[in-house]
Amino acid sequence: MIQLFHVSKYYDRRLALADVTLEIEKGEFVLLMGASGAGKSTLLKLLIGAERPEEGQILVQGRSLSKLRPSEIPVLRRKIGVVLQDFRLLPKKTVFDNVSLPLLVQGASTVEIRRKVTDALRSVGLDHKKDLFPPGLSTGEQQRICIARAIVNGPIMLLADEPTGNLDPELTSEIIELFKSINARGTTIIVATHDPNVLAQVNRRVIILDQGKVVSREQVCP
Amino acid sequence: MYLLREAVANVLTNRTTTVVAVATTAFTFACVGVFLLLYVNLKTLASSLEQDIQVMVYLQDDLTEQTRSEIDLQLKADRAVGSVTFVSKEQALADFQNQFPAESHLLQGLGQNPLPASFVVTLAVESRSSDAMRRWAHRTQSIPGVAQVQYNQEWVEALAGIVRYIEVAAIIVGLILSAASVTIIANTIRLALYSRREEIEILGLIGASATFIRVPYLLEGAALGFLGSTLSLAILKAGFELFRHEIRSASRFLGVDALLTFFPFQMCVVLVCVGLFLGCAGSFLSLLRFGEGRA
Repeated sequence: MIQLFHVSKYYDRRLALADVTLEIEKGEFVLLMGASGAGKSTLLKLLIGAERPEEGQILVQGRSLSKLRPSEIPVLRRKIGVVLQDFRLLPKKTVFDNVSLPLLVQGASTVEIRRKVTDALRSVGLDHKKDLFPPGLSTGEQQRICIARAIVNGPIMLLADEPTGNLDPELTSEIIELFKSINARGTTIIVATHDPNVLAQVNRRVIILDQGKVVSREQVCP
Repeated sequence: MYLLREAVANVLTNRTTTVVAVATTAFTFACVGVFLLLYVNLKTLASSLEQDIQVMVYLQDDLTEQTRSEIDLQLKADRAVGSVTFVSKEQALADFQNQFPAESHLLQGLGQNPLPASFVVTLAVESRSSDAMRRWAHRTQSIPGVAQVQYNQEWVEALAGIVRYIEVAAIIVGLILSAASVTIIANTIRLALYSRREEIEILGLIGASATFIRVPYLLEGAALGFLGSTLSLAILKAGFELFRHEIRSASRFLGVDALLTFFPFQMCVVLVCVGLFLGCAGSFLSLLRFGEGRA
C-alpha cells in the first residue's frame, strides 16, 4: 500500500530523512518511533504530499507521489485521515461542523454529511456532544473529535503525529484502543510517537528512526 | 452554500476592518467618480454647444447674383453642411437694428449699409468637432467670392481642450485610485486570511481544493468592491443633487442646472461592476501572496 524507495529529504541542507526504504501493507498498524527530530513528522508530511523528497520515490496505492500535479494533492488527502498532537479543531465551529469539514470539501450532500458525521461521532463515543464547541471539551474529547474528523470520510489510511503528546496515560489508552478498533475495520494506521506507553499498548510493527535513518523494523507482535 | 456562508462569516468576523475598507474604498471610488462626472457633464455641454454653433460665411460686397448662387449651390452640395440660410445685406442691417436698437444710429451715420451679405451654415452632426470645423472653415475660405468664414472657434476649441484634459486626468486619477482600492481590499483580505490561517491549513490538510479555499475570500473581496462602489455612487448622487440645488438657487446660473446630468443607469451598473471586479482582483492578489493551496 505504501512504498518508500531510497527517500531522502533535506531542510536547508540539514538531513531530515536519509535513504529511507520501507513498505507498509494494507490494514497494517505501524508505529514510527524515535526522538524529536528523528524524521517521524517529515515522513508523515511526505505521505500526505505536504513535502516532496529530494531523492527517492514514494508510492501510495501504486501511485507515485512525485508525479502528482498540485491539483491532485487534495484528492490524495481525501483518502488519508490525519490526527495531530495539537488537534487543530476550529474553536468557533461546533463539534458537528468540525467533523463534517472533510465531507464538505468533497461536496457531500446534507443527508450524507448528517449520517456519516453521526456515525463517526458515535464511533469515538461523542455523538451526544455534537452541538458543543471544542473549547468546552476536555483534551481527550478534543483528540477524539480530531479522530472522528480523520475517519469521517472512510480513509484508506490514518496518519497520527504524536496523538497522545498532550494526554495523560489513561487518555492515551483510550485513544490507542480507538485506533485499534479503527484498524480492525481495515484502515491502515501509522502512528508517529516517542511515547513508550503507546509502544507498550500497541504491540505491533515498530519502525525506529534515528537522525533520519531507519535503524530498526521490528515486528513486535502480529 | 457553504462557501457563501463562509464569506459572510469572514465579513462578520472582521466587522470593523470591513467597515473601514468599504468606507475607504467608497471614498476612493467617489474621487474617481467626481472626475468622471465632470467629464460626462463637460462632454454633454460641449456637444450641446456644438449643436448650436453656426458658421457665418460672409460674402464680398461686389458679388454678382450668379456667383452668389454658385456659392449657395456649392455649400448645399457639401456633405459636411447640414443647412444653409442666406442673409442679404438688407436683412443683416434689419437684424442688427432689431437686436441693438440703441446703436442703430451708428450705422445710419455711415450713409451706406456696411454689413456684408452672408450664408448662415449649420454643419452636419459628424462635422461639428473643433477639428472638423476648422478644416471646413479653411476650405470654405478659399471659395472665390467668400470674404471671411467666422465661427466661435476659440470657445469651441477651448472647451474641446478642457474636455480632453479632464479625460486624461480622469484616466490617470482613475488608474491611481483604482490601484489604491485594490490595495485597500487586498490588505483587508490579507487580514482575514491571516486571522483564519489555521482554518486554511486545516482545510488544506483534509483535502480542500485551492478553489474551495479561495472562493469565500474572492466573494468577500467582490462584496467589498460592490459595497464600496455602491456607496460611492450614493455619495456622488447626494453631492450632485446638493450642487444642483445650489446652482438653481443662484440666479446668475439660471438654466445651467438643466444642463447638469448624473451618470445614466447603465453607467452606474458598469461602475458597480468595475468595483466588484477590483474587489476580486484585490482578493486574488492577497491569495497569491498568502500562497494557500501550496501546502
